[in-house]
Amino acid sequence: MARTLAMFTDTSLCIGCRACQVACKQWNELPMEEPLWTGSYQNQAHFTDKTYRLVRFIEQPKANGELQWLLMSDVCKHCAQAGCLDACPTGAIYRTEYGTVNINQDVCNGCRYCVSSCPFGVVAFNHDTGRANKCTFCNDRIHNGLGPACAKTCPTESIQFGFRDELAAKADKRVAKLREMGYQNAQLYGADSNGPLGGLNAFFLLLDKPSTYNLPEKPLLPQRNVLVDSVLSIGAALLVGVTAVVAFRERGGKADHDA
Amino acid sequence: MLRTPEWHLLIVWYFFLGGIAGGAYFTAAIADNFGSSRDRSVVRTGYILALLMIGICGMLLILDLGTPSRFLNMLGSFKFWDPMSIGAWMLGVFGLFAFVSSALSLSPDESRAALRRKLSLIGTIFGFFLASYTGVLLSATALPFWRDARLMGALFLASGASTGMAAISLLLFLSGDAAGEGFKKVKRADRFAMIFEMVVLALFLVLLGSAAAPLTSGHLAPLFWGGLVTVGLVIPLAIDLMGGWRVPAIVPAVLVLIGGFILRYVVVMTHA
Repeated sequence: MARTLAMFTDTSLCIGCRACQVACKQWNELPMEEPLWTGSYQNQAHFTDKTYRLVRFIEQPKANGELQWLLMSDVCKHCAQAGCLDACPTGAIYRTEYGTVNINQDVCNGCRYCVSSCPFGVVAFNHDTGRANKCTFCNDRIHNGLGPACAKTCPTESIQFGFRDELAAKADKRVAKLREMGYQNAQLYGADSNGPLGGLNAFFLLLDKPSTYNLPEKPLLPQRNVLVDSVLSIGAALLVGVTAVVAFRERGGKADHDA
Repeated sequence: MLRTPEWHLLIVWYFFLGGIAGGAYFTAAIADNFGSSRDRSVVRTGYILALLMIGICGMLLILDLGTPSRFLNMLGSFKFWDPMSIGAWMLGVFGLFAFVSSALSLSPDESRAALRRKLSLIGTIFGFFLASYTGVLLSATALPFWRDARLMGALFLASGASTGMAAISLLLFLSGDAAGEGFKKVKRADRFAMIFEMVVLALFLVLLGSAAAPLTSGHLAPLFWGGLVTVGLVIPLAIDLMGGWRVPAIVPAVLVLIGGFILRYVVVMTHA
């Protein structure tokens, strides 16, 4: 098992240039999409089957009434406990030796269960190919000694690439520094491997709480309730079975097959 | 900022017919094991109806896939924590049971009957699974309302039971068998199943609390309250409890079937 790779996106350094979006599109040969006006400078409201990196522009009023943007280059989180991976019935979604999560386009049959099982709404269904896709963590690049295209192109090194443990240590230092500088709400999201979903292999430094960025405060694995739900279903089955037996049984309690 | 799987009518029909398949099979199995020879028509109808429904269900699922030619990839892995994975396998296994049970119920050879009865009790497990697992499947997603519904599987099971019984009684009626004792017993079983379904539905809503809003007060609310609750449960149960009320015996069964379809429709279309 190789060492886990990660991307650390330090949103305090993001200038909203969107070179990451362009590099991602170019490397993955993804087509242009019509930008949808949603009242924001964001190109798309959310990830699509053709947008794997998306810079979010979050307007936030400052204390003095002026508007500022919180910028965040969002991406698939490559969760250590991935809802999409656990949901995939064909085994198309797999984890590489680097800890990243990919969808094998030769196996996926387009059931779309993964699409509904991502706590972040990342995975999308491609109506043209009939399969699901998402960020691959530049799988071909990382298997050839390179980093993801977005990290390579980022002019401010807001997106950093490296071994997860090293990046997490860097991130801790950076948060401490920002808090010293007066950014009280600076916090890490997904850096802790003891945190939600076992940690995210694409983790972030945010300047406010996750909900400000429309991220779930505590993302949970959708499959966590399968056992409880199944037990309740079994209980219901037993009860309905009893009512049916009562309806069908003959007087005297013995099945009278020959009457 | 979550994403819907865009499951629409193909999947609504799959959930509905899969529920009937499971419910019909289990009704036939109970009639086979605990009823009398006068219930033979229920037994035969139930097994064959289940087999027919499973065949259609398989086709519906294949058609819904983004790449239907790869449907066999569903058998590429077996993850017992993944409802869709076990569901794919169980559909095939249950289909086999339905086929064998149907064949054995058509055979005039009575020595086969004992084997058929034993097999059907095992097959019932898979039938129950088919009827309920789709509810567990929805509740294992990240989408609100679906993910919050701990009783979705139980509710689908209860509905599968009542719609399976209703379908059997409808078929018996259409084949002129409505005077038989089997028909009466299926109606009685359906009455119990309807009451059970109402109890489960009430618990389902109570446990959900405000998370049930997409169903109870969204744009699907008229279909939910008017269609499922009133037309699909309250009215047929009332007709049945009032001793028929001069309504053809088949009317409550048809209403239950309509209600069962509407249940799957409003649940799935919450995230159209």
